[in-house]
Amino acid sequence: MSYVLAKSQNNEILEAGECGGAVTSILKYLLDEGLVDGVLALSPQDDVYDAFPVFVTDSEDLLKTAGSYHCAPTMIGDLVQKYFIDKKVAFTVKPCDMRAVEELITRHKINRDNIYMIGLNCGGTVSPVSGRKMIDLFYEANPDDVVSEEIDKGQFIIELADGSEEAVKIHDLENEGYGRRNNCQRCDVKIPRKANIACGNWGAEDGWTFIEINDEKGQELIDGAKKAGILETKSPSDAAVEGRSKVENIMIKMAKKNQDATYPTVSEMTEWSRCISCYACRDVCPICWCFENCELNKPYFKDEANIPPVPIAFQGVRLSHMSFSCVDCGQCDDVCPMDIPVSLIFDKLQKKYYDRKKKQSYEVI
Amino acid sequence: MSDDLKIVGLLCNWCCYGGADTAGTARMQYSPNIRIIRVMCSGRINPSMIFKAFQEGADGVFVGGCHIGDCHYDAGNYKWSRRSKIVEDILEEFGIEKERFRHEWISASEGEKFQRTMEEFHKTLTKLGPLELE
Ligand SMILES: Cc1cc2nc3c(=O)[nH]c(=O)nc-3n(C[C@H](O)[C@H](O)[C@H](O)COP(=O)(O)OP(=O)(O)OC[C@H]3O[C@@H](n4cnc5c(N)ncnc54)[C@H](O)[C@@H]3O)c2cc1C
Ligand code: SF4
Ligand code: SF4
Ligand code: SF4
Ligand code: FES
Repeated sequence: MSYVLAKSQNNEILEAGECGGAVTSILKYLLDEGLVDGVLALSPQDDVYDAFPVFVTDSEDLLKTAGSYHCAPTMIGDLVQKYFIDKKVAFTVKPCDMRAVEELITRHKINRDNIYMIGLNCGGTVSPVSGRKMIDLFYEANPDDVVSEEIDKGQFIIELADGSEEAVKIHDLENEGYGRRNNCQRCDVKIPRKANIACGNWGAEDGWTFIEINDEKGQELIDGAKKAGILETKSPSDAAVEGRSKVENIMIKMAKKNQDATYPTVSEMTEWSRCISCYACRDVCPICWCFENCELNKPYFKDEANIPPVPIAFQGVRLSHMSFSCVDCGQCDDVCPMDIPVSLIFDKLQKKYYDRKKKQSYEVI
Repeated sequence: MSDDLKIVGLLCNWCCYGGADTAGTARMQYSPNIRIIRVMCSGRINPSMIFKAFQEGADGVFVGGCHIGDCHYDAGNYKWSRRSKIVEDILEEFGIEKERFRHEWISASEGEKFQRTMEEFHKTLTKLGPLELE
């Protein structure tokens, strides 16, 4: 594992990129050299609050994918396993996306040899609708004037079209039910270390991207992009490396505090009593890859007469299939029409099972 | 000994089912609440089966397999043992006392252990009373 600061040698990319445009440059290098069939990245839609995944095969089109979009996750792992299983692809991953991809690799749904995972550190994402409301309420700005968002030193900072910046403490936003999505507030994986490289602004100087190189393939990416003349690098100072790890630890502590506060308060049975068995949470879940042949649809479990369904025979079954692999991406919360905090319940069980595993090291009784 | 407590017992063919048989042939007395379902190995039992039993009205579910090391298929019981942990974890979240779910390793010769286990489990369930699913 080693660290570099990286910057694009291409001015357009440097301009469009969030930090040093390193990620876009590396993606361009992979496409131009023919090392991948295509690249999965995000393309902004009408505003900065929403972005869609796009599959790019011509590096000219990469420019419009540059930048960070703090919107809800985008099922990158799910897309790769469904549509790109036989293709060589590179894609960007936040830690939850990375964890989903890892789980899918374990299940032989994604072939590690076929992919490049470019990790992005992640302080959290914001739901599009509540994001716009929040800008209006707390920043007294027009949500359409926001050009970028960033989380730094406990503050949620927005940059407006005229270049000015406004900052509000995350605490204040989240106490009022705004700010990052609930699952992101709990998320304790901030740097995607199972991706080939992990990129971020923590520890970076202005106009540079800080990169943690996680494996050999990651090192090859950096070396290759440099050789192709699209990336320049330098070593970060020790102070920068230390500063970055400090921020990471603070963020993890904040997440643990949130876990301790939220896990005990959720009342599962009350929540499940609102369930209308629409299966949306299952269909969106990257770990429920087998939903087309789902046990819940088998005649012995299918129970359309009962609304809400008998919880143990519906969510209990799902929990037993995959909660231990839940990556806390929160997409199930996003889609639940009844506003059930599905991810909180799954994530809680994941931790419970995992903690027990740590304590008892699975002694057989 | 007549009560309505229903116990579903999932017993592996090679050991615990034999144990139950041994108890039976030796005319050992135990509460008759158990409905036995024979499976080839405890390793083929998945949590959904336990949940289905509770959904259908079981007050307790018992799983019996071969002792560790004795599984006819080598490691089925080991796999089951790991799986059983998440069953316990999940049951708690659904308001089902984890004592309503029990598993034991019982060999074909251990008729007496089968008898004792059934008696104990029945006693536990009597204390807990019938299961009321919300
Ligand atoms: C939601 C979010 C939160 C972040 N929080 C932090 C943080 O707290 N600390 C930190 O050090 N770094 C954070 N980053 C990373 C940082 O903002 C930059 O993405 C990173 O430094 C790379 O900069 P770059 O200029 O090299 O990337 P660019 O050249 O701008 O390329 C970025 C690439 O990421 C893709 N992308 C953008 N948004 C997403 C998304 N939501 N999901 C998946 N792919 C996406 C783009 O399509 C593009 O391909 C965050 C990024 C995101 C997306
Ligand atoms: S259960 Fe929800 S939070 Fe967990 S992986 Fe599936 S969609 Fe994501
Ligand atoms: S509930 Fe189980 S069977 Fe259904 S999609 Fe999820 S993991 Fe697959
Ligand atoms: S999305 Fe919500 S309502 Fe639909 S099945 Fe899942 S928990 Fe139930
Ligand atoms: S055969 Fe008895 S537990 Fe596997």
